[in-house]
Amino acid sequence: MTISTSDKPFLERVKESEQDKFMQASVAKSQDAQWDKREASRKELGNWPQWRDLGEQIRQHVIKYLPDYLEEFSDNIEKRGGHVYFAKTDKEAAAYITNLAKEKQAHKIVKSKSMVTTEINLDKELLKIPGTQLMETDLAEFILQEDDWAEPTHIVFPALAKNRDQVKEIFDKLGYEGDNDPEHLARFAREYLRRYFLQADFGITGCNFAIADSGLINLVTNEGNADLTMAIPKTQVVVMGMERIVPSLKEAETLDNMLSRSAVGQKLTSYCSFSGKQVEGEADGPEDFHVVIVDNGRSNALGTPFEPVLQCIRCGACLNVCPVYRHIGGHGYGSIYPGPIGAVLSPVLDGYEKFGDLPFASSLCAACTETCPVRIPLHRLLIKHREVMMDKLKMDHSFSDKIMKMVGVGTSAPVLFNMALDMDHPMMGVLSTKDQGSVENEYNSGRIKQTGMMPKLARGWTDVRDLPRPPKKNENFRHWFKQHKAALEAQKHD
Amino acid sequence: MIDHSNREDFLNAIAEKAGRPRHQLQDHPFEPLNDLPETTLSGHSQDELEAIAKKNSEAVHVTFETTNKAGLADALNAYIEHDAPKTLILPTTDQYDDYGLRDWTKTVAPKPMYWTPGKGRDFNLKQAAAADVAIGFADYLLAESGTITIATTPGQGRGFHFLPTHYLAIVKKSNILPRSRQAMDRYDAAIKAGELQTSNINFITGPSNSGDIEMTLVVGVHGPLDMTYLVVEDM
Ligand code: SF4
Repeated sequence: MTISTSDKPFLERVKESEQDKFMQASVAKSQDAQWDKREASRKELGNWPQWRDLGEQIRQHVIKYLPDYLEEFSDNIEKRGGHVYFAKTDKEAAAYITNLAKEKQAHKIVKSKSMVTTEINLDKELLKIPGTQLMETDLAEFILQEDDWAEPTHIVFPALAKNRDQVKEIFDKLGYEGDNDPEHLARFAREYLRRYFLQADFGITGCNFAIADSGLINLVTNEGNADLTMAIPKTQVVVMGMERIVPSLKEAETLDNMLSRSAVGQKLTSYCSFSGKQVEGEADGPEDFHVVIVDNGRSNALGTPFEPVLQCIRCGACLNVCPVYRHIGGHGYGSIYPGPIGAVLSPVLDGYEKFGDLPFASSLCAACTETCPVRIPLHRLLIKHREVMMDKLKMDHSFSDKIMKMVGVGTSAPVLFNMALDMDHPMMGVLSTKDQGSVENEYNSGRIKQTGMMPKLARGWTDVRDLPRPPKKNENFRHWFKQHKAALEAQKHD
Repeated sequence: MIDHSNREDFLNAIAEKAGRPRHQLQDHPFEPLNDLPETTLSGHSQDELEAIAKKNSEAVHVTFETTNKAGLADALNAYIEHDAPKTLILPTTDQYDDYGLRDWTKTVAPKPMYWTPGKGRDFNLKQAAAADVAIGFADYLLAESGTITIATTPGQGRGFHFLPTHYLAIVKKSNILPRSRQAMDRYDAAIKAGELQTSNINFITGPSNSGDIEMTLVVGVHGPLDMTYLVVEDM
């Protein structure tokens, strides 16, 4: 399993991330820009809560009947002359694709952005094949690749942590001679990648939604490289998490609308494509079409309270509203899936031993839950993770020291609390002045307290939840805590 | 006969983990709990939809032009003159007759290359990549998002819309639809009825773009650097 991006202990990663001021400024800029665009696009659409109901319904329905939909989808892929391979693990998936590349004698492989190919460690395996070249064609991934395969920071903006001078430096090594203007840099990448594209014989894409009743793949992108990856090479492999399925083109259309607005504040991204194996008479598109459906730990969520995590449409909105993510960025999480969704998903995929600290990397402010277009109760699932770990701690003496430490850190150290609140966050203004917003302030509404969903042992956090409103930015944790405690004491004596 | 043991093994395992038996779907088909995709932005006249489409197309960096059937050839010539291209690519299609453009294809300069059925992948992709300008036909224009939609055909392939530098799509005013849902309803029905045999449907909303470098918007990344929609108002 390779969703892990670091072997360092959590607090060390957090400290490192805290020192990276450019990263912090970038994430803050991204969050602020996305905030306005996302909220405006949802408002213009209207009836956003009802759209969320529909999005949630679609996703819950397909997860409930997942085996049936996967069967229907795979039948329809085969009817179109394509091939489907079901991979239980990352290794099985990577091996299938690597063998196919060998069999096809692939010389030039093109890839378009896909988290699941990172998850299965595909690039590394493909690069082992002698005589095979591999190119990431998404602008951000291309930058990361040319920077010695640096890890992505953000689901939607993977190269968030590179500034224009760093990008220029990376491109200089490829023969770029211009300045650091992003447009000039992008033009250079276009020409560089175009030459490669036209020779590509093997294409690899991810998949936003697989359409069960038509055997088509839906990709939602902005740059056009995914479409070139589907147009030019003779062979195409689609790698998809097993949960990325919808009944028909109509539900794909609905979710594309919600995804585009939630991810980048657009009504639709530049390219929403519905695509499969070449049909007779067509000149381009894949003659040989393969879909690899990956479990790799996802089924751990099935039949458990964590099942809703599979509803995720990977919009990244929860990252964009998260105060902790704002502070520590993607690398701080140590997983290729960062932010609130990553904190819920990573332990499901890869266990508490590796990712048990992530459910504590949250202030439980619930902004993630409120913004999620498919209504995943993210902060409740974080609490659930904590509860499961606590129960294990009590029941299971084999539970490792490492996890005990994580739990200790999460429940006592004010560091996470501070990072969540000691910041200049645009949401705080919005949240504290408006009652109606797509992100409701659960501090202010008191809903978290009323629902009584506090983790039993997590005292440090329980007190945070009792707050009517978060402390002001300049107050430090201890100062605030003291005051708050004094106020509580006073209340008790009233 | 395809061996499905790999699939069966996988699906049985996840059904077991979920604690739910397989093959229940036929009794529980998906029924959407609301009709927002259909009803949002409904009830507009074609004139209103055109105005909405114009506003939303311009918002995604598209040049939005209108003409009528009689003025279409002139409008295209004016567009071409503006960029002074050396190379032009057109689709192979019967739609030229429909739009009254057959004669125009014979006189237009530069002399057009055609996306040509039967000429294969390399020939067509190379031509499209060498084209300064592409002029193609879109199926629908979506008012809400400023999106054109196109199903791939043998005469107008996938690369046609992505490889050329400048791109213009001709679309009929009568084919302006409120939203993506109305277009999808039509494609879905046509595919299921066997009327549309295609491997690919593109919903294209303005030129390609990226915010990957410091979140600065760059228009024109892998796809065309700019896009024009030309609406034929009396069709
Ligand atoms: S959990 Fe929800 S908000 Fe977060 S990425 Fe997934 S769909 Fe988007």
